Amino acid sequence: MSAFLQATVYGLLQGGLLALVAVGFSLVWGVMNVVNLAHGAFVILGAYVGWEMNQWFGLDPFLGMFISAAVLFVLGYATQRLLINLVVNGPIFITLLLTFGLELLLVQGMNLAFSADYRSIETSYASQSLVLGGVRVPVGRLLAFGLAVAITILLVAVVNRTRTGMSIMATGMDRGAARLMGIRARHVYALTFGIAAGLAGMAGAMIGTVGTFSPSAAGAFTLMSFVVAVLGGLGNMYGALIGGLVIGLVQAWGGQYLPGTWVNALAFLVLIVVLIFRPTGLAGKAFYAARLEV
Amino acid sequence: MTVVITAGSLVLAGCGSKQEAKTAGAAQSGTLAIGASLTLTGKLAREGLLTKEGYQLCQDKVNAKGGVDIGGKKAKLDIQYQDDTSKPDVAAQLVDQFNDKGIKLILGSYGSANTEAQAAVVERNGQVMADSAGADNKIFSKGYKRTFAVLSPATEYASSIVKAIAELATPKPKTVVFLSADDGFSKTVTEGGMKTAKDLGFTVLDPQYFPNGATDVSSALTKVKGQKPDVIIGSVHLVEGVAIVKQAKELGVTPLGFGESVAPPTPDFAKTLGALAENVLGSSQWTQATAGQDKYFGTAKDYAKDIQAKFGHAPEYHNAEATAACLAFVLAVEKAGSSDVNKVRDALAGLDADSFFGKIKFDPSGQNIYKPMSVIQIQNGKAVTVWPKESAEAKMIWPGTK
Repeated sequence: MSAFLQATVYGLLQGGLLALVAVGFSLVWGVMNVVNLAHGAFVILGAYVGWEMNQWFGLDPFLGMFISAAVLFVLGYATQRLLINLVVNGPIFITLLLTFGLELLLVQGMNLAFSADYRSIETSYASQSLVLGGVRVPVGRLLAFGLAVAITILLVAVVNRTRTGMSIMATGMDRGAARLMGIRARHVYALTFGIAAGLAGMAGAMIGTVGTFSPSAAGAFTLMSFVVAVLGGLGNMYGALIGGLVIGLVQAWGGQYLPGTWVNALAFLVLIVVLIFRPTGLAGKAFYAARLEV
Repeated sequence: MTVVITAGSLVLAGCGSKQEAKTAGAAQSGTLAIGASLTLTGKLAREGLLTKEGYQLCQDKVNAKGGVDIGGKKAKLDIQYQDDTSKPDVAAQLVDQFNDKGIKLILGSYGSANTEAQAAVVERNGQVMADSAGADNKIFSKGYKRTFAVLSPATEYASSIVKAIAELATPKPKTVVFLSADDGFSKTVTEGGMKTAKDLGFTVLDPQYFPNGATDVSSALTKVKGQKPDVIIGSVHLVEGVAIVKQAKELGVTPLGFGESVAPPTPDFAKTLGALAENVLGSSQWTQATAGQDKYFGTAKDYAKDIQAKFGHAPEYHNAEATAACLAFVLAVEKAGSSDVNKVRDALAGLDADSFFGKIKFDPSGQNIYKPMSVIQIQNGKAVTVWPKESAEAKMIWPGTK
């Protein structure tokens, strides 16, 4: 029983982090219909920024992640404004190809700039654990989980309650109508992409604290984001949170009761089963499927 | 394999004094081309670069001495690199491409998967390969006659740790559990280690597997936590190796000691884990305490200095095994007195040489039979050799966890 509880707790913590990794991916896909294959590279880049801050200025990664977020926001904004906006109206294959190319560039760039060495941001507390009735809760992961959930909720509040957020949603639902209302779609798109990249950067800094990273890990994060976003439902920020938690739990429980090598297959199996019964994802809404592309 | 005479080298020969031209007259200085496909990008980029450094140092040192002596004629080593993006099928294709260009001598890529794919092509094309980093015993169980590995086979990676613990640890631990990645190499490491552990009288618990490259091994650790193993041995690469130690701390899994293949000798291991890395045992193909020397690289300590001077970092065993594979080719070509592929193959098969990497002599399957593995332990942030006793730099600290 305590093994089950331990797996559950660990799975939830892992899931929260996955949710933060995926929420930006889901946002960009939902609003712009861009499947950003460079998302994982943004996560890793965020981890490197956090690592550099820690290395040179001794900045705690949980503070450094805000700098990661800022750097990645600027990078994301510029990427969308100067690059992806050029082809955002084109067929999805063009944006796929573009972001795939971006991923290769970023990953190889990081290989050259930081070398392919594995790194981890060291703190005195991240590996310590609180013990609650036989279940150990690692401090670093708990902090990362708390922040991930808080940021996701904050993002939902921003999108639903602020003018900027509503212009993002409006552009995502019907770009033509949004432009007629005076929304500058180009700017809104860049802003959306910037926010997504910033969140990826934050997630990266946390991943660098509780685990290890190297440029080659980028692909795995993109893939996980894909699974979490589709499972939760596109464009719905709570969807990414739910998707992340479900995948975290499935992997933890699966690892506990099935041979450990099955965990990835299991994550995709859950995705397939959910899509059979709820094609819009766990929290997806039908209007995204029916939105207008102008 | 042909000795290629380049226009440039003829000009150079022409510039030499007449005396030289007479004695070296027939010695048309040429080049000895060797093909190397490497994991320069992709998930094994780090190890690929270390392997390339090893090959590069070999080329530089050999050429600094005038080149390879082929029947009295000196030929410069010319290693041609290609990037196989860490993918076995690409690595195999590149071997074919080298063959199309007439390059018959191949230096292996990094890792068992790539090398295994290459070995089949090498055999078919009648090329010959010096394998620097493909340790899986499967490569040598197929009856290939043209692949020669300078490194110890996969079964030795965990076995050597088990042997070191059995010999040096007091009080002697009783139970051992293996946590293993699920790639072919790691599984072979696990099987070899479990067999040795059983033979040495340990109680061996069921092994736990996780996907190759996993950053989360918490499930495996939670499963073994209740069994309270005395020793946890990871058949892993760096990522999973770091995850085991890090997450064991998070989850309160405290055996008497950790041992891991591959990961601990890499400087990143101690750097990434900090204090948690202390006293973790690991196995290494080569350490600076390895006995033996040769005319190109001197002793293991000389080799370490050369790597440090040229690349600005301490040598890793990946460097050394790559250089050793290249050295095996050089020695074989010199012994054969020819760069003809079949003669080089026969010379490799009969090679019995001492080197900075230890003794190099191959058995009929192509494995280096004499080379032992060393066991290292992280002490004060550094990997020091603790086993075998004759080359130990420090005493093993046991229990490894406090």
